[in-house]
This record gives sequence, C-alpha cells and structure tokens, in this order.
Amino acid sequence: MSEPVLRCQGLRKRFGDIQAVNGVSFEIAPGESYGLLGPNGAGKTTTISIVAGLLEADAGEAFVAGERLTTRSVAAKAAIGFVPQELAIYPDLTAHENLSFFARLYGLSAKQARARTEEVLEVIGLSERADDQAKTYSGGMKRRLNIGIGLLHEPKLLILDEPTVGVDPQSRNAILESVEQLGERGMAVLYTTHYMEEAERLCDRVGIIDHGELKAEGTREELVALLGEHDKVHLMGTGSLEAAANACARIGAVDAASAGDGSIELLVKGASAALPEILTTASEAGVSVHSVEVEAPNLEAVFLHLTGRALRD
Amino acid sequence: MRTAFLITAKDLRQRVRDRSAFLVAVVAPLALAFALGATISGFSAGSSTFKIGVIDLDHGPAASGLLGAAAKPGSSLVVQYVATPAEGRKLVKDGELDGAIVLPHGLSVASMGGPPVQIDVVGDPKNPIGALVARSIAGSFASYMRTIQVASRALGAGPAETIKIAGRVTSSGPPISTSDTSTTKKNLDPKTYYAAAMAVFFLFFAVQFGISSLLHERAEGTLARMLAAPISRRSILAGKAMTSLVLGFVSMTVLALITRYALGAHWGNPLGVAVLIACAVLAATAVTALVTTLAKTYEQANAWLSIVSVVLGMLGGSFFPVAQSGGLLALLSKATPHAWFLSGLQDLSSGGALSVVVEPAIVLLAITVACGAVALVRIRRLIEP
Repeated sequence: MSEPVLRCQGLRKRFGDIQAVNGVSFEIAPGESYGLLGPNGAGKTTTISIVAGLLEADAGEAFVAGERLTTRSVAAKAAIGFVPQELAIYPDLTAHENLSFFARLYGLSAKQARARTEEVLEVIGLSERADDQAKTYSGGMKRRLNIGIGLLHEPKLLILDEPTVGVDPQSRNAILESVEQLGERGMAVLYTTHYMEEAERLCDRVGIIDHGELKAEGTREELVALLGEHDKVHLMGTGSLEAAANACARIGAVDAASAGDGSIELLVKGASAALPEILTTASEAGVSVHSVEVEAPNLEAVFLHLTGRALRD
Repeated sequence: MRTAFLITAKDLRQRVRDRSAFLVAVVAPLALAFALGATISGFSAGSSTFKIGVIDLDHGPAASGLLGAAAKPGSSLVVQYVATPAEGRKLVKDGELDGAIVLPHGLSVASMGGPPVQIDVVGDPKNPIGALVARSIAGSFASYMRTIQVASRALGAGPAETIKIAGRVTSSGPPISTSDTSTTKKNLDPKTYYAAAMAVFFLFFAVQFGISSLLHERAEGTLARMLAAPISRRSILAGKAMTSLVLGFVSMTVLALITRYALGAHWGNPLGVAVLIACAVLAATAVTALVTTLAKTYEQANAWLSIVSVVLGMLGGSFFPVAQSGGLLALLSKATPHAWFLSGLQDLSSGGALSVVVEPAIVLLAITVACGAVALVRIRRLIEP
C-alpha cells in the first residue's frame, strides 16, 4: 500500500475551556477524496487549520507526504494547497496578479509562475477575464479564483474548507464539478462540509466529526451499514417539536430523535411497524403532524445515529 | 527576504491601484501645507499693507500727528483722506478700505484742555483684522493726544506752545523700543514649517498601509493563505514593515522635493534632511506597529491610529508650535516624534551644521527602539489565522 498523503494521529487543540479537537486521527491516500462531515462548531475548521499548518496542535502529530507538519515546516506545507472558507483573494488585483503572487509565495520561479498561472486560469475558466480586477467578478468567478490559487503549485493534498458556504446553487454545482475533476486527476482532497449531499457526492471516504471527536469514518456504504435496518423518518408539523422529539426518543424502535426547523427527524428500526406509535406519541406531545416522509438511510441518518442530533443543529 | 519583497511589491501595487496612499501621503499634506503656509505668510509682518481711511472733521492741527506716523518709510499703513463718515462707511463696506477713523470736530481743542471728544472707528465684520488695525491706530492716537494734553497742562502752555509740544512728541522717538530678534533665526518660515509639519503629520497615516493591513488580511482570509504557504512568519512581518517604510520614505521625500521646488520651502542640508526623514519614518512605523498590536480588528486599529496620529501631531506642533506654550504641553511635546523632527529641521534650516540633527535623530531612534521592542513582543498575535 502506498504511503498516505496525510496522516493525523491524536490531534488535540483547546481554546480556553473549549476542547475544539479531541484526539482526531485519520489518513488520506494519494488520489483519495476525504470528507470531514459535521455541523458548525464540530471542530472541522480547527482540524483543517492544524492540517494546513496554520495552527499548532496541543498534542498529536500530522504528516504530509511523509514530512512532519508544524506551523514552521516548509517541506510539508509545500505539498499542501489550501482553500479557506472565505474568499481569500485580493479584490483590487487581477486574477493574473492574484495567481502570480501566490505562485511566487509557493516558491515557483517567475517563469514557472507565469506558466502555471496561465494553466490554472484555463482550468478555472478565467483566461478571458484574467486582466480584470477580481472585484469585478461574479461570486462564482471569485470562488473559482479562490480554488485556483490552491492549485497553483500542483499540491499533493488540496484542502478545501467548506468552499460552498454562502454560494448560489449554480456556482455550488460548478465548484463540486471542479472538485470531482481534481479527484479524477489524482490529487488527494480533504473536504470539510456540513452538507451531507456534498460529502456523499464528492468523497471516497467520510469522517463524521462532532464535538471535536471523529465519531466514525469509512465509505458511504460502510457508514450507512452502521445503521443496520434503520430508516430515517421526517415528521413535518407544528407545535412542541422539542417535547415530541424527546417523547419519541423513548419509543423502543426509535434509535435517535432530533427536533429542528419545523420538523422532527427520527432514526427508526422498522419504520413501517413503528410509525403508528410515533405519530400517536407526537400528537400526545402537542404536535400537529402535517406530513410524514420515510427515507432510505444516508449520511445524515448516520450522523443522527452517532451523535443523537441532526447535522443542521 | 525574497518573500518579504514579494509581499511589499504586492502591497504597493494595491496601494497605487486604489490611490488611497497617494491621497494620504502626498495630496493631502501638500494641500494643507500650501493652505496653512500661505495663510500664515499672509499674516506675517511686512507682508501686508492696510489701507485706513481718515475722516478729518476737526480740520485742526491734531490730525497731523496721525498722518505723520502713517507717512513714515516702511510703514505698512496707507492713510487715505475721506470727506465724510458716510463715504468712509461705504468704502469700508465695499472693501476699498480695511477700516476708517473719524476724527471729530473739537479734537484739537480737546488736546489743549477743551471738552473731551470721541474718536469713532469704522470696520467691517468680514475683515476683522482690518478693523483691529484701525482700532489699534485710533487707540495709539488717543494715547498720543493724551501725552500732549498732559505735557501741555504740566507746562501751562497756551495753544501755540501746545502745537510745538505736539511737533516735538511726533518727531522724537519712543524712550523704549521692542524688537523680536531672539528666535528669528531659528524659526522656520511659514512655508517650510507647514511643509515639514504636514509631511510628518501625514507620515503617520501613510505608514498605516503596511503593518495595520495585517489585520485586514486576517479578516479577509488572505493572511491564512499566506500562513499556509511554505514561508516564514517573519518574512510576512518583514514584508509588511517594508511596505510601511517605503510608503513613509516616498511620501516624505516627494513632499520635501515638491515643497522645495514648487512652494519655495527651505529644508536645509539635504543629507541632514535625509537622516531626519529616515529616523522619523522608522519612529512612525514603530509607533504604528505598537498601536496595531493593541487592536483586535482592522477597523479598531484604524480608529486608534487616527486618534494617536492626530494627538501626536497636535502635541508635536504640526498645527501650531505647542512647545512654545511651556509647562506640561511643552513637556508632552518632547515625547512626540513630530516635535523632534521639526526641531531638527529648524536647526538645520537655520544654517546649522550636519551635527545638529544628531540629537533629534538619536531621540527618534530611541522612540523607534522603545515602541518597536514592545510591538515585536506583541506582534505574534497579528500573524495568527
């Protein structure tokens, strides 16, 4: 088996009273797309920040392409392409100038930087607007430039921190397509998201993270298999959703229940048999149910099963 | 260093593109230096002539004292006879005269012991300085008349004798004269003073585009991107510091050259000026770095830096020479880079040897070291994602 591009062992990071990352370990193989799936505040960005060499871990260690990673390690950082959550570009510089600047920061010579800049402009579809200031671009174009900067030095590992947050559906789809193409070109990708669909679509393997801990990891199929015969049930309604979710959680067939935005999500073993009792319990708890939806298990259901709460919480 | 240069070059490109640095570092100080220098020059002794009208309703010998004083060579006063008070008021209102003095009927008699009379002064509220000059002349003239009256009474003189006494008083000089020569040589002329004062005042704004932009880059996410690159954090700091230094040097040098050749400012020995500029830029960068390390956000840093720049500028004499007021203000003034820069320039401009810049240069470097050392201890927090 080839050496992993990224190997993390027991990463820990604390901010004051908050244990942001608590013993996170995982590996990414060359060409593999790995997703860190978890809600906001789960510890994804802190983990990413350690793995990108921005933050020093309190404990544990990480290796990138065999090189130990710290905030000062040049060799390990040179193997990483980092795409932060924000649009980390200079709006008053052109796409060409943005790319050239970061290419030089990554140690490319002036000649190499020129060549790579042209190639990346082609890849991200900005060649025709290369000499316009980035502030004149649409949101999608800025996002593409943001990702393009991470590709300049042809890294072995590309880290994308929630690149679709706040993006319109069209641009989001374009970003997902770009990331899929990167995977096809053999680049290892570490992708954080709190969107289950993105993780399912893009990632060969997914790590489910919550409260700073990696709860489980594996392929989609491996993770769904953790649920056994469980189904995911959505109750849409009005009333005391929180109380109803707590009441439903006490039903024997219900593995987990979580109240959210106008609905209750339940993980149920044998949904068709348990549904009448669930509806009665919800009604008794003061919820007027408008509709019921039973889904095949997915990563969201896995998250609910592992953490007892929904991804959106 | 290669990385630091890359960051500096990128920063300078941004500053040139958004023109903000050009406005703050060159246009604003130049405009203010020109405006303040021209205004103060306008008020300088010998540079203005005041035209005062005299309405002589007395038609006696008393008015000759006033006219005699005005006719002296080198006087900045032009006296113009006006026939009536109404005409005088019109000329003042139209701006033809800066002020007018009405010498009333019976003035000469009053000087010889007759009943007292009143001298009226006509001024325009839109020209307060002209009115002030006219009032001052009238006051002096009243004192002159009083002197003659006292002398006339003491000698028991009749009208003919009194006129002779008046002639003697007019022709003889005052027993005590004053002359402001003690600091004349050391003072910069208004154009040079305000060129230098505005240059050093805006220097503190110009250098902000370097160090404090770290906070902006942190908020925008580009700092995280730089920190993820295989470069040292020291090189990021060095790049930002160099941006401040380059903007400071360019700003001061351009202002010195423009004010020298376009406004006629006299900066003094170029080498001495270069030393003072270098030290002032270093001090401004260190002070800016220190204040930036105390702020949590870019907006907060900008607000604090603006306050510090204005306060230091005021205390340091960028708008008026605070040090001359004495007391606590003078003491506080000595703690500002502005005061030392201007002091060094004053000595240099008045023909002092190159050695006169040694003391201000040492003090400016001491400020650099003191503020820079504290900033270096605290600056680590600026280069965290």
